[in-house]
Amino acid sequence: MIKKPVKILNENGLHALPASRFVKLAEKFISDVMLEKDGVEVSGKSIMGILTLACEKGSTVILTCTGKDEKEAFRSLRKILEGQD
Amino acid sequence: MPRERILKGIAVSQGIARGKVFIYETKKVKVFQAPILPVYLKDETERFDRSLEKTKQELLSIQKRLNYEIGEDFAQFLDAQIMMLSDKAIIQEVKKRILEEKLNAEYIYNEVIKEYAEKLSGSTDSYLKERVADIWDVGFRVLRNLLGLTHSSIVEVPADSIVVAHDISPSEAAIINPQNVLAIATEAGGRTSHTAITARALEIPAVLGIKGLMEKIENAEDVILDGDRGILIKNPSAGKIHRYEKVKKEGLILEKALSPFCELPSRTRDDRHIDISANIEFFSEYIHAKKYGAEGIGLFRTEFLYLTRRGNPTEEEQYRVYNALAIKMKPCPVIIRTYDLGGDKIFSDYQEANPFLGWRAIRVSLDEPDFFKMQLRAILRASVNKNVKIMFPMISNYEEIKRVNLIFDKVKDELRAKKINFDEEIQFGIMVETPSAALLSSHLAQQVDFFSIGSNDLTQYTLGVDRGNEKISQLFDHFHPAVLTLIKQIITSGHEAHIWVGLCGELAADPLAIPLLIGMGIDELSMNPGSIPRAKMVLRAITIPECEEIAEGAVRFRTPLEVKRYLRRMIHKKFPGIDEVIK
Repeated sequence: MIKKPVKILNENGLHALPASRFVKLAEKFISDVMLEKDGVEVSGKSIMGILTLACEKGSTVILTCTGKDEKEAFRSLRKILEGQD
Repeated sequence: MPRERILKGIAVSQGIARGKVFIYETKKVKVFQAPILPVYLKDETERFDRSLEKTKQELLSIQKRLNYEIGEDFAQFLDAQIMMLSDKAIIQEVKKRILEEKLNAEYIYNEVIKEYAEKLSGSTDSYLKERVADIWDVGFRVLRNLLGLTHSSIVEVPADSIVVAHDISPSEAAIINPQNVLAIATEAGGRTSHTAITARALEIPAVLGIKGLMEKIENAEDVILDGDRGILIKNPSAGKIHRYEKVKKEGLILEKALSPFCELPSRTRDDRHIDISANIEFFSEYIHAKKYGAEGIGLFRTEFLYLTRRGNPTEEEQYRVYNALAIKMKPCPVIIRTYDLGGDKIFSDYQEANPFLGWRAIRVSLDEPDFFKMQLRAILRASVNKNVKIMFPMISNYEEIKRVNLIFDKVKDELRAKKINFDEEIQFGIMVETPSAALLSSHLAQQVDFFSIGSNDLTQYTLGVDRGNEKISQLFDHFHPAVLTLIKQIITSGHEAHIWVGLCGELAADPLAIPLLIGMGIDELSMNPGSIPRAKMVLRAITIPECEEIAEGAVRFRTPLEVKRYLRRMIHKKFPGIDEVIK
């Protein structure tokens, strides 16, 4: 399991396009992907869950990836959050 | 007889309609709670799966239709809806709760969706709040499928209806039947809402954003909707009905008489070719441009890209739209204008007291080079089609062109370095729409390939009149001698520098102005697609020497009224054939 805080640097926060890209990418991995903000945890494979977190630019979330491909999953998902994809 | 009442809103789609009000309310879905016997629980989750699949097929088919009718860029909102529908976390939660609580799928699904919608509507973020409408749009669709109900009654609107609604959801707007719907009026929405875009694409007159509409209107009432002025007239007086019917009837007769001109070349009687092109705002409008016989897109406003989504469009998203438009219009030219809005539209925390004189258009672009360069790259990449030109709005001094040029060259260098193709010969022009640019036009002309006169803003800035302000809007007049003097000066400066000069404001479509502008030497006129046949008709009736004579005589007047009287008189004398299209 990889569990680390990530700061959202994506220009538009994690809304709309970045959120849907995040979900599409997360679904490609076998690992479980979870996002946590302010004590609320949602599945990183759920667009609605991510939307309800209301992640603005500059906020911090805890990204957790658990599973066979967790390293790869964490690395590429972090890029979306940090706006570097 | 109840008194006539005029309800004001935002004019989003042109045209006039008179008809009976059809109040459209999104059908409420009544969800009941029913226990499910343990042996049937598996069937219940399977029934839920089937309703999701059915909904998905429906959304895909709406998307397909929209892609075709309006354009892929617009239909993207359905991607988001399909993602919400296929959300695994929600599907799992619903199934789990069906099994645990032993209750029917409708009830559980409704509960789950409600929880998500409530969380989002509590958000302070306006984008997230708007997504609540999407969630319910999808949610109700699933629920109706579960309950075996039919969808929106908007397809069953009786003939000759004026649809009145609080709001029309995106997927509902997509299935409006233009055969029965004469016009649309809503309480919510604005110029860039889905309803507005759909109405324009279908050429249905529409007025949106009418405050308190639903309390003021009743079903089956007789109303007139004026999509040009943005008003809905309740209990119209006999006089008003008569006047509108007359306008409408004359409009139809004229439209019919003018329709053969769509296909005719835009040449004067003495065979001088003048480019007649179209101003468009949305990609899909290229269809209207072609239908009415435009020989190019004289102005593609790119603001729509920035207003209909959260955040700014990426380079890729912009490129897709510009490229598709260039391909559709080939070999005719497409002039793409860069960002022309206030800074408040993209930097939401920014506000100012006097936006028309503020941080807008090229001023924003120059201050935000990353933002600007992204748009330049997208336009340059689309220029491989060889028919793209680029145009910069609201230039008010010489340094701005120099700075734009510098950035433009830098972007070109970057593309070359990355071996990305673009048109090395791409024409680079500016809007001349401030008095300072007009007065400096002989210098500015040295730096560009063309001018396009933005007559609406030029009039507004020259006369110092905000036409949106009712108290003073009568002072706004394109035929003001001061405005005409500047237009003449711009054309002359352009021609002295051997560049072409177009005009893309409302003046370009005014039959009274066309002979004058031609006489002044204008090379291109760009207008709303619907005005093109009339402009061609005028053009084909006139000759250059006589227009020049008219233009020479037009400079000596003191008031707009004197100018217009003179033009009417001269046109009647020289080209009596076009009297009928001049009001």
